Amino acid sequence: MSERLSEKPNDARRRNFLRGLAGAGGAAAALAALDRMEAEPEQVAASLARAAAAVPQTVIEAGDNADVLIRMQADLARALKKQPAERRWVMVIDLRKCVGCHACAIACVAENKLPPGVVYRPVIEEEIGEYPNVTRRFIPRPCMQCENPPCVPVCPVYATYTNAEGVVEVNYAQCIGCRACLTACPYGARTSDFGYTYAEGTPNADGLILGHDAADDYERAPNFEYGKPWPREGHGSPMGNARKCHFCLHRVKEGLLPECVTTCIGRATLFGDANDPDSVVAQLIHRPNVIRLKEELGTKPRVYYIV
Amino acid sequence: MIKKVVYGLGALALLLGLYGFYSRLFIGEREVNYGSYVTWGLWVAMYLFFAGISTGAYMLATLDHLFNIRLFKGAGKYALWGALVTMPAALITIAFDLGHMERIWKVYLSPNFGAPMAQLVWGYTLFFAVIVVSLILTLRRPHMFLTRVVMGIGLFLAIFLSGGVGALLSVNASRASWHAAMLPAQFPVFSLTSGVALLMILLGWFTPDDETRRQRVRLLGVAMIVLILVKAYYLWVDYSVALYSGVPDTARAVGLVLFGQYAWAFWGLQVALGMIVPLIVLAQPRLARNGFWAGLMGVLVLIGFAVARSNIIFPALAIPELEGLTEAFHGPHLNIDYAPSVMELSVVSGVVGLATLAYLIGVDALPFLKKYEVTK
Repeated sequence: MSERLSEKPNDARRRNFLRGLAGAGGAAAALAALDRMEAEPEQVAASLARAAAAVPQTVIEAGDNADVLIRMQADLARALKKQPAERRWVMVIDLRKCVGCHACAIACVAENKLPPGVVYRPVIEEEIGEYPNVTRRFIPRPCMQCENPPCVPVCPVYATYTNAEGVVEVNYAQCIGCRACLTACPYGARTSDFGYTYAEGTPNADGLILGHDAADDYERAPNFEYGKPWPREGHGSPMGNARKCHFCLHRVKEGLLPECVTTCIGRATLFGDANDPDSVVAQLIHRPNVIRLKEELGTKPRVYYIV
Repeated sequence: MIKKVVYGLGALALLLGLYGFYSRLFIGEREVNYGSYVTWGLWVAMYLFFAGISTGAYMLATLDHLFNIRLFKGAGKYALWGALVTMPAALITIAFDLGHMERIWKVYLSPNFGAPMAQLVWGYTLFFAVIVVSLILTLRRPHMFLTRVVMGIGLFLAIFLSGGVGALLSVNASRASWHAAMLPAQFPVFSLTSGVALLMILLGWFTPDDETRRQRVRLLGVAMIVLILVKAYYLWVDYSVALYSGVPDTARAVGLVLFGQYAWAFWGLQVALGMIVPLIVLAQPRLARNGFWAGLMGVLVLIGFAVARSNIIFPALAIPELEGLTEAFHGPHLNIDYAPSVMELSVVSGVVGLATLAYLIGVDALPFLKKYEVTK
């Protein structure tokens, strides 16, 4: 570690760039798998898993001077070597850096193929003061992954629970869609999937790749939340279910940061293992200018805001 | 004559409900107005409403079959039949509210008994069975000790399940206007009031006009006056404390009811039609002894209660959990201004029609209900 810290930053960047090129080969394999979307969801999932396995870990270690994204990749690689119960995933959102671009919200929609009416990470815009003395504040609101989640005990069928890593999951196949968890969540962090697609109302263009059919095919192809394929067919899950942010667990398991983290243009959203004292997030969450939303409810959120 | 009119209205209500049933069963929840922020809408309110009537009717049946009140001898079976037909009405409306109603069996096979909803599903299933057993026992073995034991169990369940519905709401610590122990304490009283209202209709409209009926509806009318006053006191306590303390979310929810988008329903239907008119009419001994007027007041009280249940559910959910959340992302079912859709109203109409017709067909076709008994 000390040897790496003594490296020049440029050396590290050069090495990371070369590793990134190697990773591009694996990414191409993943894209090839996506081209085969007409295959069965299980086959697609298997293809993607193979492609993911082919992607070398782009960065596994980084110095303190490295870009925070590189550091978090290294944090993630270290955390994944531990047992799940030894990790404590947390998210830190630096409100001073958030510019309200909503890129995280949109990236999340793309990553999880969220339909209309389902959102995991809206960015709340708050206007403070009165004209002309006005300022604005942007508050991204993912699931808080509460340590004491009010949504879990109210589920009548154990469809939602906290996993070993502290992330609150939804078992889509078990959920009956009663929305008791939506009602119980103090953060409005769950939405119900009413079965819409963005392609609805789009005209068709015969002979072209654009138009309703092509878009609809894409929307109905599976997403891979919780590491399983979930095609939008008939009235099957996740339609009719409660849905929520899960810190992109399916990405994290493959060594990738949550989509909202990698997309944030201001490096305002940070993610990592709070049980690792060397991680970026562990060094931030104990600062005095850190708050959590609605702490008075005793939910103990795992999302921290730097103000 | 009244019965024929009610038959007609029931059939019409069912006819109007066919569209809603079709839409819900074959299209899904696309045409509902509740969503991810106003998570529970008219159907949940109607679940509370019908479940309250059913449990309340059962409470009234114990006057005959558990407490042996002479004036109500022979009236218990109507209350039990009323409880039996309104319980499925409650279950249909809540089942339609589920995103995956075909998975309801999971609540039986893998229940989380720590969740109020699972407790209620099991509790109401047990209660439905108890109603059926009570009906059979009261017909075949009316004087058996076992009959009274079962009626006692049923009364216990009716009270606790009524309170349980209140608990379903009040356990949500994040919903300030629900989060009070008063809610489960009030709901059994609301159920009892609903039961009295139902029995005023059943006895006032569908039993022969004789002295027994006049005495029965008069007594029920007096009970109703007391219960309406109790309910008015509850309203005063709830709303005055909420407004005086000024807890923002609670005060805003109460503001929506008193002065906001739900004010017309509160003042017009819940207070004026559902409380003041029945109070005035039932305070007139001549009208209170009249079966038609008693039944009509029962209907008005029930309309008031349907609105009251809605005014408990909707306003609390119409306050966003985080300020600005509803403007942060737009899409279907992400609204905060809730009013039931035509499809939701249609389903409720159909369910009311089904329950009404089920009651009347039972009264006309089942021998034990056709046989009218009077107090000697």
